[in-house]
Amino acid sequence: MDNKMIELNNVTRRFGEKQVLKGITLHVNKGEIFGLLGPSGAGKTTIINILTGQLSCGGSARIFGISCEKIGREVYRRTGTVLDNCGLYDRLSCADNLRLFAQIHQTPLFRVGEVLHQVGLDGCEGKKVKTLSKGMKQRLGLARAILHNPELIFMDEPTSGLDPATASEIHALMNELRHKGTTIFLTTHNMDEAYRMCGRIALLSEGKMVAYGEPAAICRQHCRTAALNIVTADGEKLLLSNSPDHADVIAGLMRSGQLRSIHSCEPDLGTVFLSLTGKELDQ
Amino acid sequence: MKTSTAILTKQCKDSLHNFPSLMIMLIYPSVAWIMITAMGSEEDMSGFFVPMFAAMHGSFAPIAISSNILSEEKEKGTLRSLIMAGVSSVNYLISISLFVILATMLTGCAFLLMGAFTRDHAVKFAAAMLAGAVLSTLIGLCIGICSKNVTAANGIAVPVGLVLALLPMLGRFNSTIDRVGELTYSGQMSRLMQDGTITVQMMAVLGAHFIALCVLLTLLFKHDKLK
Ligand SMILES: Nc1ncnc2c1ncn2[C@@H]1O[C@H](COP(=O)(O)OP(=O)(O)O)[C@@H](O)[C@H]1O
Ligand SMILES: [Mg+2]
Repeated sequence: MDNKMIELNNVTRRFGEKQVLKGITLHVNKGEIFGLLGPSGAGKTTIINILTGQLSCGGSARIFGISCEKIGREVYRRTGTVLDNCGLYDRLSCADNLRLFAQIHQTPLFRVGEVLHQVGLDGCEGKKVKTLSKGMKQRLGLARAILHNPELIFMDEPTSGLDPATASEIHALMNELRHKGTTIFLTTHNMDEAYRMCGRIALLSEGKMVAYGEPAAICRQHCRTAALNIVTADGEKLLLSNSPDHADVIAGLMRSGQLRSIHSCEPDLGTVFLSLTGKELDQ
Repeated sequence: MKTSTAILTKQCKDSLHNFPSLMIMLIYPSVAWIMITAMGSEEDMSGFFVPMFAAMHGSFAPIAISSNILSEEKEKGTLRSLIMAGVSSVNYLISISLFVILATMLTGCAFLLMGAFTRDHAVKFAAAMLAGAVLSTLIGLCIGICSKNVTAANGIAVPVGLVLALLPMLGRFNSTIDRVGELTYSGQMSRLMQDGTITVQMMAVLGAHFIALCVLLTLLFKHDKLK
């Protein structure tokens, strides 16, 4: 099993006539943040449902080396999940929500205060969940997922619909968890989030994996028109293709001290996605 | 065991903050109390109203509450988070049923305080309430398993619950309805509450309902798996 937390091998799934997953093969290593990036309807949640034993699938899906069809209590004890709709009890207080899950996981109750502090919800113990903002609910969902110190956390679009400040707080928490050695399986339709947060990603489009690997490597690999972004001392902007023809232009600028900045411009994940599928990532 | 206790505790807290379900639990005892008080000191009125409303309580409330709890947990995704925390579906269903039955019995006790019961009759009354609560909870769970959300569940639970609750009462005024009512568990429950006599037909009707509902629940559960 070495250090692979998740292994998908040619995983397929259909709902009625519709083939939702068309042969997904990927793995997630211990201690990394793995990102599943794709527009809505790509099949991200379906993959999480398969990995958490909620859906059957074709091919082979394994978590901690255990087949996903046979997921039982031990697997659930080692995983935490942040669902896209939170799944919190609206009429109960934050602390009561967490207490319930602490009891189910047989985790000592002092963890409730600890995780609330960890996600920055101190003082919210007695607040009813229905009075919380979306960002606070999302943080409470995360608090619940880490209550029992799981080795692997699934996060289904944890920052979608949040303001940038709250989103970056969640990112900070994710980094903190990763430093402690927790593996995170993240789904998102936000390419910046995937680029900044994830060690490796899979780009998903309509149930097919169109790219897989380190975000920067994916961008470089699909960099068809290698271009150089140049700003001269006068503030003039030049976009030159990376070809021998332009060597003299650049050399000239350098010699005359006219070169203020020069950057290679790789496509970002959104451009890669667009060029691979002909579709925009964020609709 | 610990899990069941945790779910029971959660459900108590949740239902206490859920005004509609509190209403359903308290409506029949309250109405019965109001009627009896309004009628004044006429002794036989409590003998009439208490079994009537108690039978309604024992059939309607558990159906409405259990289908509501289950469908709401499905709709809000809380059931999914419980299952992903390692709670087994069967354990969940048992815990919820236990809550509904306990809540029905507890609120049903109010009827015992309103009527003049002999000790023997009180025991049989409680037994009838328990039988009604168990069978109605099974119906409620079946409805909850079939429904994707609360609206859909209420759409089935309210008419089913009302028919079962009203049959025994209407049977008092019409002999045809009475004969139909005899074949339902709520009709037999109402009988046992009224006069405290146990008949063979009663046991047969209750037993048949119990077996049929258990089979139905198992089939539905195997088919839908609480998804
Ligand atoms: N239970 C279901 N029944 C039928 N179709 C479904 C079901 N769940 C998901 N789908 C379909 O599968 C596709 C992928 O859905 P999903 O995995 O939720 O996408 P994402 O999470 O990437 O937005 C969608 O087209 C959706 O309509
Ligand atoms: Mg989704």
